[in-house]
Amino acid sequence: MDNCGKSSLSRKCDRKQKRCQHIVEKETGIKCTLLASKSIAICNAGLVNGLSEETVYQNFIEYGPIDNITMVPGKSCCFIRFKNIESASRAFENINGKLNIGQNNKPVYLSYVESIPNPKPIYQNKMPPGLIVIEDFISETEESILMELCNFNEQENGSMKHRHVKHFGYEFRYDINNVNKDKPLEDKMPQECDFLWERLKLRHIEFKPDQLTVNCYKPGQGIPPHIDTHSAFEDPIISLSLGSSVVMNFKNENISMPVVLPRRSLTIMSSESRYAWIHGITPRKLDIIPTQNDLSVIHRSTRISYTFRKIRHGECDCQYTQHCDSYAKRLKSKSNSIKNKEAMELETTHVYDVYDIIALHFSDTRCKPWPNVLKFLHSLEVGSILIDVGCGNGKYLGCVPNVFSLGCDRSFGLAEVAGQRGFEVFSCNCLNIPIRDNTADGCISIAVIHHLANEERRLQAIEEMARVLKIGGRCLIYVWATDQQRNQQKTSYLKQDRKNRKENGVVVPEQPTENVSVTGDITLPVHQNRTQFQHQDLLVPWKLKAELAPNNEENVFLRFYHVFVEGELERLCSQLDYVKIVKYYYDQGNWCCIFEKTK
Amino acid sequence: MKLLTHNMLTSKCMKGVTVGYPLKIKAVDVKENEIDFNPDFISRIIPKLDWPVLVKAADSIGKNDNLPEDLLPEYESDTDFLKKVHHVLLEIDIVNGELICPETGRKFPINNGIPNMLLNEDEV
Repeated sequence: MDNCGKSSLSRKCDRKQKRCQHIVEKETGIKCTLLASKSIAICNAGLVNGLSEETVYQNFIEYGPIDNITMVPGKSCCFIRFKNIESASRAFENINGKLNIGQNNKPVYLSYVESIPNPKPIYQNKMPPGLIVIEDFISETEESILMELCNFNEQENGSMKHRHVKHFGYEFRYDINNVNKDKPLEDKMPQECDFLWERLKLRHIEFKPDQLTVNCYKPGQGIPPHIDTHSAFEDPIISLSLGSSVVMNFKNENISMPVVLPRRSLTIMSSESRYAWIHGITPRKLDIIPTQNDLSVIHRSTRISYTFRKIRHGECDCQYTQHCDSYAKRLKSKSNSIKNKEAMELETTHVYDVYDIIALHFSDTRCKPWPNVLKFLHSLEVGSILIDVGCGNGKYLGCVPNVFSLGCDRSFGLAEVAGQRGFEVFSCNCLNIPIRDNTADGCISIAVIHHLANEERRLQAIEEMARVLKIGGRCLIYVWATDQQRNQQKTSYLKQDRKNRKENGVVVPEQPTENVSVTGDITLPVHQNRTQFQHQDLLVPWKLKAELAPNNEENVFLRFYHVFVEGELERLCSQLDYVKIVKYYYDQGNWCCIFEKTK
Repeated sequence: MKLLTHNMLTSKCMKGVTVGYPLKIKAVDVKENEIDFNPDFISRIIPKLDWPVLVKAADSIGKNDNLPEDLLPEYESDTDFLKKVHHVLLEIDIVNGELICPETGRKFPINNGIPNMLLNEDEV
C-alpha cells in the first residue's frame, strides 16, 4: 500500500486497517476499495462502541461538506459520505489511524467504500398525514412567560430517567400508559395557556384540552418512540416547543420522517399522524438531517414542551386498528361473545317466539312512521324497488306511492299482520334474504339487527342487505342506542315515564339488576324500562296486555337486544369495502346509518 | 304473492344451491285484485324485470294474458301493453300454494299470500 509508507507505525496501521476492512465487508456487505471515493467507512467504531453520530459529524465536517452519515445499529462500524472526493481524501489522510474516537479512545481506522448502507433519505420537509407544524405560533415574550410557569431548575420531583416532567389536569401514568380519568389533579390547567385556543380558533381549529404534560429536555435527552394510547386521549394532540428547536422522528411501517419542530412552533398531531405514526426524540445533543445540499444541523439547548391533550371518555373507534388498544379490547371481548349456536337459540326464544306471541299488541303500538325514515323513503324515485328487512306490521310498506315495497320478517305473527293489512311480504331470516343479488333500489331495516346476538350475525345481516341492493342503491339501518340521553335531551323512550320528564339527571334504574339465564351458560341482565341502558347485551321486558294474552293474564316477555354504542354501527357498515357511508346520525335514541353500494 | 315478487325471489341462500332461480310455482288458490294503474311506474319497473321469467311464471299459473315472449321495443308508449303488464305483475295474487327450488326441489309454502322462505338451521 502506497499511502502507509514503510515505517513500522505505517505497517501496523496497514495491518489493522486490512483486518477492519475485512470485518466491514463481512458484517455489512459493503465493498471496501483502495481507490479514493466520496464514501468512507470507520471500520472499528460505531454505535456499539459508543460512537455517536454527533461525534462523527463534529470530527469530519472540518474537511468538507458531508451529505450523509449512517450509523448501523448493532455494528462496530459506520459510514460517512462527503459531497466530493477531495473532502473525503482530506478526511482520510488526517483521521485514519490518528483520531482517537474509537473504543477506549483508541484510534479509528478508515477505508474508502463503494457505497454506504441505507443512506438516510434527503429531508424534504415531508410530513406524516395529519401533522401540522405552525411556525412562530407564539412570540418570544409569550415563550418566556410560559417557560417560567414551570420552573424545573431546582425541582427534582417528577423527575424521570431521561427528563423532567409535570402534569396538569390529569396525571399521565407511564406505568399503564394511560390516565386516571376519574382522578383529576389539584393542579388545574394553567389559565396562561388559554390564549393558545383563541389563537387556534382564528385558524378554525376548535380545541379545548383538559390535560397538559410539560416536559423539560436537556441537550442529550429524548423520549422513546411511542404512539399516545388511543383510549386515553382524543384526536388531536397538540404540542408547543419552547426554548429550543428539535427534530422529532415519525415512523410508520418502514417510512421514517424526521420533522423539525422549531422553537416557538405549535405542532398538531391529528388523524393518521396521531393514531398510526410512532413519534419520538432521539437522545443526542444535535440533530443532523440530510438536506438537498448537505447536512443540516440543529444544536439543541434546553427545550420545554407543552403537550396538550383531551381525555377520551369511552373507547376509541378509529380506523387505525393495528395501533388501537380499544380495538384490541373489542377483539378480545368478541372472542368471548355469544357463539353462533347459542345466538340462534337466544334469538329464537327471546326474539322470534316473543314477537309471535306479542305480535298484535306490538303492532298496535307501532303506528306512526319516524320522520327521518320517511324522508329516506321519499328520496326513492318512481318505479323503485324497496325491501324492508324486518318490516314488522308493515308500517313503512305503504308510505310511498309508486315504489314497489316488499317486506319480510322473521316473525310469522308480524308478517301475518302486515299481510292482512294488504302489504306484500314474505317470511325469512335477515341473515338469508331470499332475493336475487343487485335487485333493490332501496333497503331499510328499522330496529331489527339489534336483535341479533353476536357481531358476526349483525354483520352478516348488513352484508345480505348490501348484496340485494343494486349498485348505487341505498340502505338505511336503525338500531337502538345505549345512550338514551344525548346532549342533555332525553329520548321519548325515557320520557314515556312521566317522572323522567322533569328531572335533569341521568335516569338510572332504581332496583338492582336482575339476571336471567337464557341459553347454555349465558346469563343476561334484565333492563328496567324507561331507564338509561346499563349493558349492551340485555333483555328488555314486554308487558303483554291481559286481553291479548293467551291466558288472559298480564304476562311479561323478555326480548333480547344488543344496544349499540356510538360509532359501532358505522364501523360495522364500513367493514364492507363495496359500500360507502352516506350519512351516520343519532335519531331519538337510535344510531342510524345510510350507505350506498358502490361496486 | 304477486308475480313481481316472484320475479325477485331465489333459493340461492340454501346450502348447495348455486342459482336457485327462478322458483317454480304451484298455485292452489289465485286471486285477482284491482289496483290503480300507473303507466309511468310500470314502464320504469319493466327494465328491472327478468322478462322471460315473468312470462313463464304467468304461463305456469295460466294467467299469461298473451304477453309477448320478447319485450316490445317501444313499450313505454303502448298503454295496452303496460296495462297487461300491470295486471300480471300486481293484480294477480297467489294466496295459497308453493314455491319450489329448481335445484333441490325444496318446497316453500305460500299461506294467506305469504311465502315462507325461512330456511332450517341445517339448510344454510
